[in-house]
Amino acid sequence: MCGIAGRILSAPGNVGRDLVDLMDAQSHRGADSTGFAIYTIPRDEGYVLRGMGFDKEKIDTDLDDFKNLLTDHSASLKSEPSIVMDHNKHYCFKMEITEPKDLRTWVVEADSLAQRMEIQSCGRSLEIIKDTGSAAEVAEKHNVREMVGTHGLGHARLATESSVLPNASHPFWARPFSDMAIVHNGQITDYYTWRDKLQRKGYRFLTENDSELIAIWVSDQMKAGMTMEQALKKSINSIDGIFTYMIAGPAGIGFAKDRFALKPLVVIDDNGDLAAATEEQAVRRVFKEECDVINHDGPSLTGLWGVGNRSFAA
Amino acid sequence: MSEVEIEVGDRHIREINEDIQECCSLGKKIRIVNTLSRHNLGIGLPPGAEIEFEGSVGYFCGGLNTGAKLNIERNAGWALGEGMSEGHITVGGYAGMSAGAAMIGGTIHIKGNSGPRCGVAMKGGNIVVEGTIGYQSGFMAHSGKIIALGGAGESCADALWAGEVWVAGPVKSLGVDVNVIEPTQEDVDEVDEILEPLGLVDKSREWRKMISGQRLWYFESRDASAWLMI
Repeated sequence: MCGIAGRILSAPGNVGRDLVDLMDAQSHRGADSTGFAIYTIPRDEGYVLRGMGFDKEKIDTDLDDFKNLLTDHSASLKSEPSIVMDHNKHYCFKMEITEPKDLRTWVVEADSLAQRMEIQSCGRSLEIIKDTGSAAEVAEKHNVREMVGTHGLGHARLATESSVLPNASHPFWARPFSDMAIVHNGQITDYYTWRDKLQRKGYRFLTENDSELIAIWVSDQMKAGMTMEQALKKSINSIDGIFTYMIAGPAGIGFAKDRFALKPLVVIDDNGDLAAATEEQAVRRVFKEECDVINHDGPSLTGLWGVGNRSFAA
Repeated sequence: MSEVEIEVGDRHIREINEDIQECCSLGKKIRIVNTLSRHNLGIGLPPGAEIEFEGSVGYFCGGLNTGAKLNIERNAGWALGEGMSEGHITVGGYAGMSAGAAMIGGTIHIKGNSGPRCGVAMKGGNIVVEGTIGYQSGFMAHSGKIIALGGAGESCADALWAGEVWVAGPVKSLGVDVNVIEPTQEDVDEVDEILEPLGLVDKSREWRKMISGQRLWYFESRDASAWLMI
């Protein structure tokens, strides 16, 4: 039992604050960790990275190695990284970088450092913030409430399929595809079969979390030419298990729901000003007045919500 | 009966339910306001209580009801009236998944649609849905009636044991081990008796009555009453 949420604003604004409220209302669904994927105002060039280092004692060496890898790919840091550190051994970072010569090649090489420093999101606008603890704790530690953007996702995790580690938290970035993120409530039962197939295609998995697989699976279908809508529909009959997941890109958020209708999704859509969550009481934190609620309770459902009330066929 | 108003808002649910129980014991009619779709409102209510919920409620509302009358103005979340044994629950709008799950008595009346697995594992009582019942409604129902005036979703009455699912509208698909039979006039009269106090009788309806095909029964006895005493 996890809790998921999505939020699209009709105009750029305090999406961080709303996602924290949505997840705070669902903290009881998963106390192990909380995460947010926030689409900030997009950059015209360069990328923003969010990630985690696993040993704060070695931060200087690890950062130097990371910078060297950037230099090898004709890129560099735009400014000094912003680091969040506390009593835990791990630390979290945010970096802005110039364009690597080839993003995907650079990501593959940067992942050679993943045992020391793991990139958890990369995009023109996507920033994934995740850590152990409740929504309130993670939000306070990482100043999530202050984050401004257009849309985003949230997740409260009750660990069932893999370890309680800060990097096994959701959302997951669909590495190496920039600006794609996923949150998932459920379990994928043919995880290893699909993981094996995707690894043979060259994809890299940094956790044993089944949700990481969905992010890469959908992005791989889109790389092969499918629209997101087609990929979402295909996932229902291709991936085995119980799931409701939301996947986001720069243009909006899509969702898919399994054939068994076991994981809920409730939506309030006020003409493109939209909140979605596992529980209705969460979306009512954002929309406090009584209004029409859409219950996506049925089996085999998919949908797309575009940012700025635009159609979303990306 | 005097009326008292109880605010939900961001108060602790246990505190709200204690207030509700206290007002019930004093014989007061209760109006619950600012409900914000919160979960677990009005659990284990006693016979004779009358409660109005202004707005929508979350999960488990009216669960374990032992005879109270609840009226929910708008929508209800999952597991409305789960395990109730007596009483009457009315929902003005939509009810989420598993409405009336494992109920053993009383009536649930949903004016809109109901989500998947409506009446799952119910062992008695009646659920009347003016709209449609969702995917796999009636799943493993042991007894009681689910009556859908608008229609039914996929896998209707899947693995039904000994309950009945009545549908007066289109059915997307049937579940496993279901027999659709022509109801007798006596059967229809029995359903109309349930609908009559709700003002929903319409003699022109064409009913489909669904009962167990008994192919999944693993009891040696074909007499359901012998093993329904659980």
